[in-house]
Amino acid sequence: MRTPWWQRLAPLLGLFLLCLVLSLASPHFLTVDNLLNVLRQSAINAILALGQLVVIITAGIDLSIGSVVGLTIVILTLLMRHGVSAPLAALLALGVGTLIGLANGLLLTRLRLPHPFISTLGTLNVARGAALLLAGGVPISGLPPRFREVVAGSLAGIPMPVVIAALAYLVTHVFLSRTVYGRDLYAIGGNREAARLCGIPVDRRLNLAYALSGAAAGLAAIVLAARMNSGFPLAGTGAELDAIAAVIIGGASFFGGVGTVGGTLIGALIIGFLRNGLNLLDVSAFWQMIVIGVVIVVAVWIDVLRQRVGRAA
Amino acid sequence: MTPATPLLEVRALAKRFGAQVALQDVSLEIAAGEIHALAGENGAGKSTLTAILSGALAPDEGTILWEGRPVVLPDARAAQALGVSIVHQEPQLVPSLSVAENIGLGRLPHRAGPMRLVDAGAMRAAARAALDLLGVAVPVDAPVGAIGAAQRQLVAIARALHFGARLIMLDEPTSSLSLGEVQALLTSLRALRARGTTLVYISHRLEELRALADRVTVLRDGRVVTTAAMAAMSNEALITAMSGRELAADLQGGPPPPGREPCLRVRGLAQAGRLHDLTLAVREGEVVGLAGLMGSGRSRALRTIFGADRRDAGTVEVRTGEGWRGVHDVAGAIAAGMGLVPEDRRALGLVFTATVGDNIGLRTPPDGRRWGFLRTHVLRAVAEAALARLRIKARGIDAPVRTLSGGNQQKVVLGRWLRDTRVLLLDEPTRGVDVSAKAEIHRHLRELAASGMALVVASSEIPELLALSDRIVVMRQGRMVGELDRARATPAEILSLATGATETRAS
Repeated sequence: MRTPWWQRLAPLLGLFLLCLVLSLASPHFLTVDNLLNVLRQSAINAILALGQLVVIITAGIDLSIGSVVGLTIVILTLLMRHGVSAPLAALLALGVGTLIGLANGLLLTRLRLPHPFISTLGTLNVARGAALLLAGGVPISGLPPRFREVVAGSLAGIPMPVVIAALAYLVTHVFLSRTVYGRDLYAIGGNREAARLCGIPVDRRLNLAYALSGAAAGLAAIVLAARMNSGFPLAGTGAELDAIAAVIIGGASFFGGVGTVGGTLIGALIIGFLRNGLNLLDVSAFWQMIVIGVVIVVAVWIDVLRQRVGRAA
Repeated sequence: MTPATPLLEVRALAKRFGAQVALQDVSLEIAAGEIHALAGENGAGKSTLTAILSGALAPDEGTILWEGRPVVLPDARAAQALGVSIVHQEPQLVPSLSVAENIGLGRLPHRAGPMRLVDAGAMRAAARAALDLLGVAVPVDAPVGAIGAAQRQLVAIARALHFGARLIMLDEPTSSLSLGEVQALLTSLRALRARGTTLVYISHRLEELRALADRVTVLRDGRVVTTAAMAAMSNEALITAMSGRELAADLQGGPPPPGREPCLRVRGLAQAGRLHDLTLAVREGEVVGLAGLMGSGRSRALRTIFGADRRDAGTVEVRTGEGWRGVHDVAGAIAAGMGLVPEDRRALGLVFTATVGDNIGLRTPPDGRRWGFLRTHVLRAVAEAALARLRIKARGIDAPVRTLSGGNQQKVVLGRWLRDTRVLLLDEPTRGVDVSAKAEIHRHLRELAASGMALVVASSEIPELLALSDRIVVMRQGRMVGELDRARATPAEILSLATGATETRAS
């Protein structure tokens, strides 16, 4: 569903201003190497944000994705160390992520838990505990070198994580804007009861949304395993917060029904460029946290202002 | 000055919402210590009047006099300070707090000191004192969420008394109470009157008004029709005053439908405690009106037929090209060719974050999708066609639906069901739309019926039902209590069936 152009413009304008300021402030910012570096570093958060976007569009939230990354990365690396071929192991990791996501959906639609905050908070803890149990609390190393070379390498000069993220963005964009399922998710987020009275199978669609969020976490885990060249059971800790921040900065509404793939990409890039720029300017990591916190609050405040304008209209 | 100055008097009160006149030239007197009934159909202005008297709304014109002195009520707090309180149909209480806390909320007694600790003993005592005035024993320590609907009403009234109310307005306090609970409440209200508290009582149920009220004021279309001693008004006179007589003019319309085939069959539909033995057959091109007071089960009947609410017994069938087809859920209902225009377009009908076109396409016609993909050109064509046919005033199908007026939003909801629909259920199809949009929607509904669609229209406005329907089914307390065909239906007859003034089952 379309949002007015001015709603989508705000995040893009923010990204543009940020890049302008950073390129003036640091001579190292506007270089091909640095820009590719930012893209590579942003790819994992961008993929996670994609799953989070699908869920936030339904007026939900998925807090478990960071832990799902941890669990799937452990399963993926264990499989490969026990001789399972890398492509098959990656496929299984995607499947594990999808199943955990589906479980999140079923907790919501079958057990009728009052809010996905609760169901996914439960899964957050369960998945992290399972990851630590499986890994015995230590990182799993000894991955086939080829896995790292392919997934963390580059294709025609573009880092492979960026290629993977780009494909994921393309597929999700088509899914959300061109398919019945995507359209149904916007409708459910905008008005669940109206969607139900138009014959939309609300529970099945919500299960799908959470399964997709889990799948995105599985995909992010594959990329992260290759970049770290190991399976660290604490990988992805807190990643859900960055993903939520990217979605919200990208103009999606916590009230549901609003949000685009393009906006989320911009949101993820704003966070990536902000981190990178503050690093280049030698700002301490402590200050970075403060700056990003302020950006999140300001972005949501803009969201609130928009809601107010929307209601007045 | 008259020997007894009325406790409250209003003079020439008027209130408009946009072009709609809610109250006009309303004058009445409430005597100290009386129970004064307010009667009238839905939309007659009762709620607007009580909202003004409780400080929730500001009048456009007119004066309010309290014990003979003009007063201004800028907000509910000012009304409360004066001694005027209102108790709503569903009292606004905090379910997790105790009865005593709810009664005292906002002025809880507290001990001296910086902590302002609540004086629980004093709080309970005050709550008991207020409940004693009503002559009832409600456990003051129970959480409000754990007590029944009848006791919640009493708690709300006790709260008003605790705040020093001398005039309490009760807006349909019995609509969710059982017969026994109603009797108990009436007893409490009489006890209150005996202690000198003045009451304004709103109800649709004539027997309650008769059992309780000293005087009655009848409102119709925002004006006072009459004020009289209750004993001097017969049920017939009351109903005539409420419904008016000039409505017969609305009865024009097309000829009765020719002998067409039935296409909706409902048998023995029931939902425990709410809907009983609903049986109905509707023919192609026929418009059946569903009349009844608020809470009579009209909406529930439509939603249950559509498969949107739980069904405990009964069958619903729609005749399709391949014969009769059973309907069990919303998806099945839509696939069989049924549609629903729900009563509250904001809460149930529209996705406000979406465009006009997406809202129309939300009910996706079979050719609007293929292999999971939306066929955008088909959906856009469907939406454009609906826009043109219903003359929806919007910048186009890509305009956000929230930018449309109420009447046009209602047409968007209707626009979903122009294609592939045999049976259309409509719940309050013109609530909150202006007069011209209403006439237009009525015309569209007649056209749909003329094209062979079967319509079931539930409405709280009797003139609307008379203007649209070939026959009118009257509901009361979840049951069909009568059926009147267009030639015989009169507002008075419908109202008397709906209120239970006549118990006989007309054919």
